[in-house]
Amino acid sequence: MKKSIYIFSDGELHRKDNTLFFEGENGRKFIPVENTSEIMIFGEVSLNKRFLEFISQSEIILHFFNYYGYYVGSYYPREHLNSGYMILKQAEHYNDDNKRLYLAQKFIEGAYKNIRQVLKYYQNRDKDLEDIIYCIEKLGELINGTLSVNELMAIEGNIREYYYKSFDVILNNRDFEFDVRSKRPPKNSLNTLISFGNSLMYTTVLSEIYKTHLAPRIGYLHSTNFRRFSLNLDIAEIFKPIIIDRVIFSVVSKNMIKKDDFDDNAEGLILKERGKKIFIEEYVSKLTTTIKHRTIGNNVSYRRLIRLELYKLEKHLMEEQGYEPFLAQW
Amino acid sequence: MDMKVTGTLMQSYTICKRQVWLMAHQIIPDQEHPFIEMGRIIDDNSYDRDKKKLHFENVVIDLVRSDKDNFLVGEVKKSSKAEKSAKMQLLFYLYRLKQSGIIAKGQLFFPEERKRINVELTETNEKEILNAINEITDIIDREKAPDFVKIPYCKNCGYREFCMS
Amino acid sequence: MFIILVYDVNEKRVNKVLKTCRKYLNWVQNSVLEGDISDANLKKLKIELSHIINKKEDSVIFYLLRTTKYSKREIMGLEKGGENMFI
Repeated sequence: MKKSIYIFSDGELHRKDNTLFFEGENGRKFIPVENTSEIMIFGEVSLNKRFLEFISQSEIILHFFNYYGYYVGSYYPREHLNSGYMILKQAEHYNDDNKRLYLAQKFIEGAYKNIRQVLKYYQNRDKDLEDIIYCIEKLGELINGTLSVNELMAIEGNIREYYYKSFDVILNNRDFEFDVRSKRPPKNSLNTLISFGNSLMYTTVLSEIYKTHLAPRIGYLHSTNFRRFSLNLDIAEIFKPIIIDRVIFSVVSKNMIKKDDFDDNAEGLILKERGKKIFIEEYVSKLTTTIKHRTIGNNVSYRRLIRLELYKLEKHLMEEQGYEPFLAQW
Repeated sequence: MDMKVTGTLMQSYTICKRQVWLMAHQIIPDQEHPFIEMGRIIDDNSYDRDKKKLHFENVVIDLVRSDKDNFLVGEVKKSSKAEKSAKMQLLFYLYRLKQSGIIAKGQLFFPEERKRINVELTETNEKEILNAINEITDIIDREKAPDFVKIPYCKNCGYREFCMS
Repeated sequence: MFIILVYDVNEKRVNKVLKTCRKYLNWVQNSVLEGDISDANLKKLKIELSHIINKKEDSVIFYLLRTTKYSKREIMGLEKGGENMFI
């Protein structure tokens, strides 16, 4: 399994001696090109065309984040697994309203069921979540009856609203109160963690898509505008509750990230570098955690589950096996 | 002669019909699968001194050595476990060469096992190749991929997770 | 798997060996590199090194660890390099 590298220092990335080389404020370091799959760039990093050519050839993706930790964009090298057949199938399922709605519903169904699973887990740990679960289940029943993607998005919005209310019950921590969902900029620490975590999730899914035959610009739930990546946003919906939100609960309840890990800024609240690193460590350890897979029969990591989800989508597009989203069992 | 058929498809044909269809639709297997990675390395690094790739119509032949009047075509493989499929692939190349008026001999190389096997195009196996070409063409032209059937080969196949997910 | 690679090669070839190893592993200190590596990459690394070294004069040792679960890495003095996902 090739590695993800996270660059927080300021400096320059080069191609040197046929591998990757970082020269920064805190010293120089070679990065093994043969063992790297993606580089996440948080610091002020310069790079040149020679470097980009080299990482394209090595099939390494770059993901860029701005000062606040939001996702800015990716350098997505030329696709090496192109399948004209698959792209046509992907487009066909986008252009046909019914086919598109079916997939959009399935992604929301996956998100909804995994959200419920997270809530049930905490309910079993004596958190009073009965009312919230009830409301979410009522909304969940409406998913399959929706007639348009917009209607579906509205239901999803309502589910999330109830869901985020549960965060206060689950965490019960004054320093991390949810209040309302605020983005760009997030207004409080919990919103900052959610935004940061979701950004990471989107890039991870995008990196997995790169290793399949799917085109990342054609999404079903999140409208395609053929410019931005959107399929990764779709798939991320399913995994956000069981990966990102669980990481949030764990870093907050174990006091790994505290109030003073945030900086108040005119642009909103930002997570300091120390906090970002702690979050990433938890996130990476979650992605490498393995569970026993029912049909494959051996242990697979959470990261691998994302890939399997993409394979299932490919088989749905090929019309050989109807797509059913991954549901956490615990 | 149908140009859709390639040596790789011929090789897959004896193992799994579903693989033939997937390959032909550019749905290639997981490139990080240990066996696929390993195969690529052996392919790139063995028998350096003879290393030549022959591009011929839509056929890429692994290794060609010609001494005196003998024209020898080779195919490098990781393990002789799938000897039958490697043999079909090589016979296919020999057949295609014959179509162009070149009579060649074939040899399978298993560098890991330091083993070589001679392969020759005969009347019987030429018929076999022709049948296979026809059937492969039929498979490729199907609307959908042949259904997944679990076979022992799946265990180490680069499509394993794709098929079983 | 995780490997520790140490080498002792003729000065003339030191640079080439180091450069090759850095494509696959993390430099730890003089003549020592370490890191996670796939079976295929280990094979590739070995092939590359075998073209560089002189088997009569040079020596490269690979310590292979299936898992690092039962091993511990302790440092005395300076931490010069090693594997780190953060830069």
